[in-house]
Amino acid sequence: MHERRYILARTLREEHGLALFLILMSQIPCALIIVLSVEVPYSTVSGVPVKNAIRAAGVTVTSTKNVTWNLPRATGGRTCVLSDAAGNNITISTQSFDSDDSRDAAIQMYNANPIGRGRPAGSLIVPGSQLVYITPAGSEIIKEIGAEPVSRPGLK
Amino acid sequence: MTDTAGTGGETGSKKVLGLFALAMINVAAVLSIRNFPSMAIYGWSCIGWYIIGAVLFLIPISLAGAELATGWPEGGGVYAWVKQAFGEKGGFTALFCEWSNNLVWFPTVLSFIASTLAFALTPALATSPYYMFGVMMIAFWGTTAIAYFGEEASTKFGNTGVILGSIIPAILIIVLGVWWIGSGQALVLPPLSLGAMVPTINVDTLPFFATIILLFAGMEMAGFHALETRNPQRDFPRAMALSAAIIVICTVLATLAIAMVIPAGQLNLASGVMQAIQYFFNAAHMPGLVAPMAVLITLGGVVSLAAWLIGPAKGLGIVAEEGNMPPMFDRTNKYGAPVAVLVMQALIGSLISLLYVFLPSVNQAYWILSAMTVELLCIVYILVFASVIKLRYSQPDKPRSFTIPGGMAGVWIVGGLGLFGTILAFVVGLMPPSFFASDGLAYVLSVLLGTFLLAVPPLVFLKFKKPGWQRSASAKEVPP
Repeated sequence: MHERRYILARTLREEHGLALFLILMSQIPCALIIVLSVEVPYSTVSGVPVKNAIRAAGVTVTSTKNVTWNLPRATGGRTCVLSDAAGNNITISTQSFDSDDSRDAAIQMYNANPIGRGRPAGSLIVPGSQLVYITPAGSEIIKEIGAEPVSRPGLK
Repeated sequence: MTDTAGTGGETGSKKVLGLFALAMINVAAVLSIRNFPSMAIYGWSCIGWYIIGAVLFLIPISLAGAELATGWPEGGGVYAWVKQAFGEKGGFTALFCEWSNNLVWFPTVLSFIASTLAFALTPALATSPYYMFGVMMIAFWGTTAIAYFGEEASTKFGNTGVILGSIIPAILIIVLGVWWIGSGQALVLPPLSLGAMVPTINVDTLPFFATIILLFAGMEMAGFHALETRNPQRDFPRAMALSAAIIVICTVLATLAIAMVIPAGQLNLASGVMQAIQYFFNAAHMPGLVAPMAVLITLGGVVSLAAWLIGPAKGLGIVAEEGNMPPMFDRTNKYGAPVAVLVMQALIGSLISLLYVFLPSVNQAYWILSAMTVELLCIVYILVFASVIKLRYSQPDKPRSFTIPGGMAGVWIVGGLGLFGTILAFVVGLMPPSFFASDGLAYVLSVLLGTFLLAVPPLVFLKFKKPGWQRSASAKEVPP
């Protein structure tokens, strides 16, 4: 009787342990990445950071246009079409927000719109109060611009 | 909602699903309005991208799923199929990858639901984390509650929801596009040419290539409901064909309708589907339809959530029923729903959603998490495509009411195309985006480690597997 109780108790402990293991394993990757990520502080960025960076990288600006995204409390920004010497084209859109809440809501909205089960189109960079949206995401031009020190402040 | 049945599925499975219901499960899982504006950015070349997605994934997974589902119409979907080819470890791993990738995807679809609903109420609500989290939890636990009431309730909800929330909005967009052309309005697309339909494939667009491969992920979802299907041998292949046709027609035509009306520059800026929809309806002088559309698209999001929430959870319930998980995971209620798995899933998903909403500006972190979901899904499909090929050799005489045409050559072509697409998507999924360029190795290691952690629990469960778990399972199989 005693032995049966002991076996039952041990089995229950193992079951709970495995359940806990399952929950932890499913949380660890998400929690680690999210918690260890450095939050981008909201700070006013003067000028147009992308414009400064592309000038330094020697990329040509094909067209620019002032725009305000149709998102709550977006305060305006600029869309640039860029070309490099290799003939690559990308579109970069910047947008300022009036607070960290509205900026973060825009980030969430972007992440909430993946294509299928994949990822959202383009990529999003968060310098201070601004969002920079780039398509296509893996462009070589971005690497050229990203290599320039002027684009680093505020980026994680 | 009292859970009375204890462990096991004493009530057995009611055969409530026919051809239409099965097809609607797949449509709910795959057809999403939110894909349309993102794809419309590519103009005519979206046709080329869709063809790539269809050839390298949609057609192979539909054919493979149809053959596997009619050959092994047991519960568990991908678990049952992969288990036949690669044993319990393979089957359990495939299923677990499908289930665990959901956990990371849940916050995505839940925040989509909340932000879309906000558009119908007051768009500024989307900036409130409390509103977002509140609506996300109502949608998540509400969908879990529907799943609690079993297959019949889920089917009714799914059938109605997918028609109202996915098919009708897509048709409405297509009809408006046709009206736009018919009424002589200016089209923002250049004239159609063969060259315009060919997508640009280079290093820059490779990450998008991986996205396109998984654009139609979810076509295997009906397979999880095999035990509740009246005539799986007859209905599965037809359901696959019907759902694939609905998905392709709605997706391609609605994307082109949006591409013809909204300038690509506007779509670039419109990060949310509702911004594009608003532009679309304003251009058609029907701004009054924006809020109803937001409600319908919200419903479409909930139905999609339900399809992904219920299917893999049912599969995990079957795994527990077979004694591969402790009996505490094998609790089903009187409706036959795997209540323990559903509740655990809801708790884990709620925790991740909490982190997602209240730890803001974690854009790059979420990018890594979404990369993990891509990798996990690729593992599932690599195993499924490998299974359909292997089973032709290991179980050639097993009756299948549907077989991939073309004999062994046909199965190699179909399975090979699917394997090529998903392996390529897996490799490309490891490529760091441009903003990680300076720390590429850390990115790759993070994605691989996270994928490993989310894929490894089945091996631990099988390592600790006890005969007692199996006894509990077999006891249930005794007829009352």
